[in-house]
Amino acid sequence: MKISFEWIKEYVAMDAGPEEFAHRLTMSGSEVEAIREAGPDKVMELEITPNRPDCLNILGLAREASAVFDTELKAPEIRLPEGVPEQTGPEAGCVIENPDLCPKYTARVITGVDVKPAGKNVRTRIEALGLRSVNNVVDVTNYCLMELGQPLHAFDLDRIKGGRIIVREAKKGEKIVTIDGIERELEPGMLVIADSERPIAIAGVMGGMDTEVSETTENILLESAYFDPGSVRRTARRLGLSTDSSYRFERGVDKGMITGASDRAAALMIKETGGRACGFYEAGALSLEETVIDFDTEKAAVVLGVELEIEWVERVLRRLGMIVTRGEGAGITVEVPSFRVDIKNEIDLTEEVARIFGYDRIPATMPKMFPAAERKEFSRQVKEKICGDLVSFGLSEIMTYSLISDASAGRFPALVRDPVTLRNPLSEEQKVLTPHLVDGMLKAVSWNINRKNRDLMLFEFGKLYSKPAAPGEETDGGGYRETPALCIGLTGLARENWLEGKRNVDFYDLKGIVEQVFHGLKIMPEFRAMRIEGIAPCAGTGIKGGKKTTGFLGQVAARLLKEYDIEQDVFVCQLELDNVFKKAVLKNRYHSVPRFPSSVRDISILCERSVTAGDIAGIIAEQGEELIRQVDLIDVYQGGNIPQGKKSLTYSVKYGLDIRTLREEEIEAVHSGIKDALAKQLGVTFR
Amino acid sequence: MEALDRLDRIKDRFEEEIKKCGDLSRLDGVRTAYLGRKGELTMILRSLSALPDGQKVEVAKQANLLKREFTARIEETRAGLEETEAATKKDKTDVTLPGIRPRAGTVHPITGTISRINEIFISLGFSIAEGPEIETEFYNFGALNIPLEHPSRDAFDTFYIKGEYLLRSHTSNVQVHVMERQKPPVQVIMPGRVYRPDAVDASHSFMFHQVEGLMVDKGVSFSDLKGVLSIFCRSMFGNDIKMRLRPHFFPFTEPSAEVDISCIICEGKGCRVCSGNGWLEILGAGLVNPKVFEAVGYDPSEYSGYAFGMGVERIAMLLYGVEDIRLFFENDIRFLRQLS
Repeated sequence: MKISFEWIKEYVAMDAGPEEFAHRLTMSGSEVEAIREAGPDKVMELEITPNRPDCLNILGLAREASAVFDTELKAPEIRLPEGVPEQTGPEAGCVIENPDLCPKYTARVITGVDVKPAGKNVRTRIEALGLRSVNNVVDVTNYCLMELGQPLHAFDLDRIKGGRIIVREAKKGEKIVTIDGIERELEPGMLVIADSERPIAIAGVMGGMDTEVSETTENILLESAYFDPGSVRRTARRLGLSTDSSYRFERGVDKGMITGASDRAAALMIKETGGRACGFYEAGALSLEETVIDFDTEKAAVVLGVELEIEWVERVLRRLGMIVTRGEGAGITVEVPSFRVDIKNEIDLTEEVARIFGYDRIPATMPKMFPAAERKEFSRQVKEKICGDLVSFGLSEIMTYSLISDASAGRFPALVRDPVTLRNPLSEEQKVLTPHLVDGMLKAVSWNINRKNRDLMLFEFGKLYSKPAAPGEETDGGGYRETPALCIGLTGLARENWLEGKRNVDFYDLKGIVEQVFHGLKIMPEFRAMRIEGIAPCAGTGIKGGKKTTGFLGQVAARLLKEYDIEQDVFVCQLELDNVFKKAVLKNRYHSVPRFPSSVRDISILCERSVTAGDIAGIIAEQGEELIRQVDLIDVYQGGNIPQGKKSLTYSVKYGLDIRTLREEEIEAVHSGIKDALAKQLGVTFR
Repeated sequence: MEALDRLDRIKDRFEEEIKKCGDLSRLDGVRTAYLGRKGELTMILRSLSALPDGQKVEVAKQANLLKREFTARIEETRAGLEETEAATKKDKTDVTLPGIRPRAGTVHPITGTISRINEIFISLGFSIAEGPEIETEFYNFGALNIPLEHPSRDAFDTFYIKGEYLLRSHTSNVQVHVMERQKPPVQVIMPGRVYRPDAVDASHSFMFHQVEGLMVDKGVSFSDLKGVLSIFCRSMFGNDIKMRLRPHFFPFTEPSAEVDISCIICEGKGCRVCSGNGWLEILGAGLVNPKVFEAVGYDPSEYSGYAFGMGVERIAMLLYGVEDIRLFFENDIRFLRQLS
């Protein structure tokens, strides 16, 4: 909102210059954002918070200044000039059909006006505040709007059919051309000012063109009313039309100033136009709830952490327009004026005192602290551990939008389960809450490849959002499921240097990272082949012995990569973390280093290609039982002198016991037992 | 005795020469000169018979000792020279070739900023709490004293899902959950992701992050809020930073304040980043509105508290000098590597 410094100074005497004034006003809550020269005047741009409609006018801010600078407020005369008797003139009237949306309406007739440009004082002032000067009638309504904050509207009385105002809801199909020349369609629910035939103004928002005051106007109907803030807000929003008037009605105008503003405007209009004030018509009634608050100034001092002088508090509140009565001890009784719609409780008065006292004068102290034993939830600790590990493996964390398009989500239909969709999305691109993190990962990969960064190891912590599948299913309070998840993406070269040469990343690089993440959490994972549309090859992974699949890892199908403009292999993994949080172990315990030596035996296996390493490892583990300390796959080979359709796997098996040294015969027995079992169960031979 | 003196001289010369031996061929020369067929020491040993009887035994003894000593010294030196030569032959290490660097991973700057904020408050005794992003109107608005039909909701414009469900427009919903779960004293910070339907540009994003703080106890005052925030600002932005509180309006706090710090770019002199006024707004704060206490079942006459909230992206942008919020979500690896 804009204010004129000179206009303010008319109502409050102070020595402060514009800079000091702006600073003090800012530090008391009315933030001055800019100061601009306007001839001899200074115009200031203010940001007024939505709880302070009383500051949306010159008088209100002069009142603030009088409290801040501790000086008298000299309010303008708000009444009809003396000796202006009600004269007979054209008949008019007003009725309200929707008292809930318009509790009070007043109409004043001014007759015999000479419409011409307004006088210099009125014109300069409203023009300084960025309003266009129209004529003496319209300019006076705007002048009063700026001065008192009450929006007023002047109709050409002779163009009001039937000469009577009806405040009602718009009917379906009704239209109005507003004074900006635009035809607007009205809907039921919107409040309009109508004559006997049609709407002539959108209540509290904008007047109609047809009843606009022009040079030929002789008689005026001046409206001053109270419209329901919610109603004006809804109408303005639906029409996409915000005006100085709607802005103030939405925030709540001063219920005590409806008639006063009409008087003040009439007085100025008589002076400016040479017209005469005639009939004054009223409809409805405002309930002026009286707010009276018992205010304990000692308590306020404790809450703020300062010392307050009761006399000073009383004076500040009076300057702010309150009626203050001294009670017992540190207590006072405060009657709140009608324009302060934001003050309802004792704490609101405490704030008034605090902001005039000055936040900068309140000391800084330290409260008593209550350190909790565990400052971070376990899940957060696990997440931090995973993040630290991945970074140490050379991966970079990314962060992608959790709102994506339907189409993006649907590229991996197998990963979309009961998705959550916005009712009012900004665009189709941001409509669905991520049902999976693969889309975001591929977008990040694509972004970088397009900028010639092709070798990427990325990860993201995100959430998978879904609707509860069954009623009564457990959720985290929001009614919807938000499953924490980890996504990893690898592409390009795993290494490229003059010593070792180049190597592309591979499925096993990704698997190794996943294994190591689990290892860091002391979780034993399981992997098995799995089918997911768009991911192949693909492995499902879970916690060993658990029923739930934790996630998957694999290679993204080329046809999908094309959608992201990617032409190189990309490997992705997505893990749901809720179960991981449950099973992870972060505590470290020492296990004695083996005191008795291990013996290592190799097994070189020749088998069909269809035999999996998992099958072989399973049999070795089962046969070897507790005598095995470690099994490592040290070579995989096919082709060359290996027969067609076969492959060769070489394992190194480490045997040992913690309580004694194994005897040669014992090792031999187990080792041949393993070989027998492998031969029998998988039909392998040994090389 | 002349012969013994000669032996002494031979010994001194030998020592001098062997020290100068830089390679094996030179060492061979030394060996021949002293121990070879016509070597100096050999010659002495051969001419023992020409010595008078009284000297013969003593000179023979000394000469043989010397021969053993020379032999040992030569072998010792040979071993050393051989090792060096072998190493030189074998080792072609060009120490100026580039090293094979391990690839360094990086933490996202927003995660990093949240961690920094978390750690400061943890050191002040706060715990971390989290809450849902998909929320009901009650937790996002109602319980926080934000009436349905009020311009104050403009600032909290919201994405809706279905019925009363919406995407939270601030992390303040977690305050309500925490207070419903637990009796005072409460001392938590609540980091998280929030959403508002703002079209994306250099300074707006429909998704961003906030950290909210809450403390509730008996006798918590506005001056306590100032104390805690002042420590936070100085820990986060530097010890010389100045902080000021300006009255403001939030429905869930009363009195409310906006918190500015002296501009970290121009140190308060006024620059483009601080719009020339020397101050940067970084936090909203205030004493918890008694209405919020009523909504969660705390007795406002018994307890008081403060709350504050900040936008993580804004702080990260100020700290790192990032001028476009979209950079955080483009995930350009060059950007990520710079800010880790």
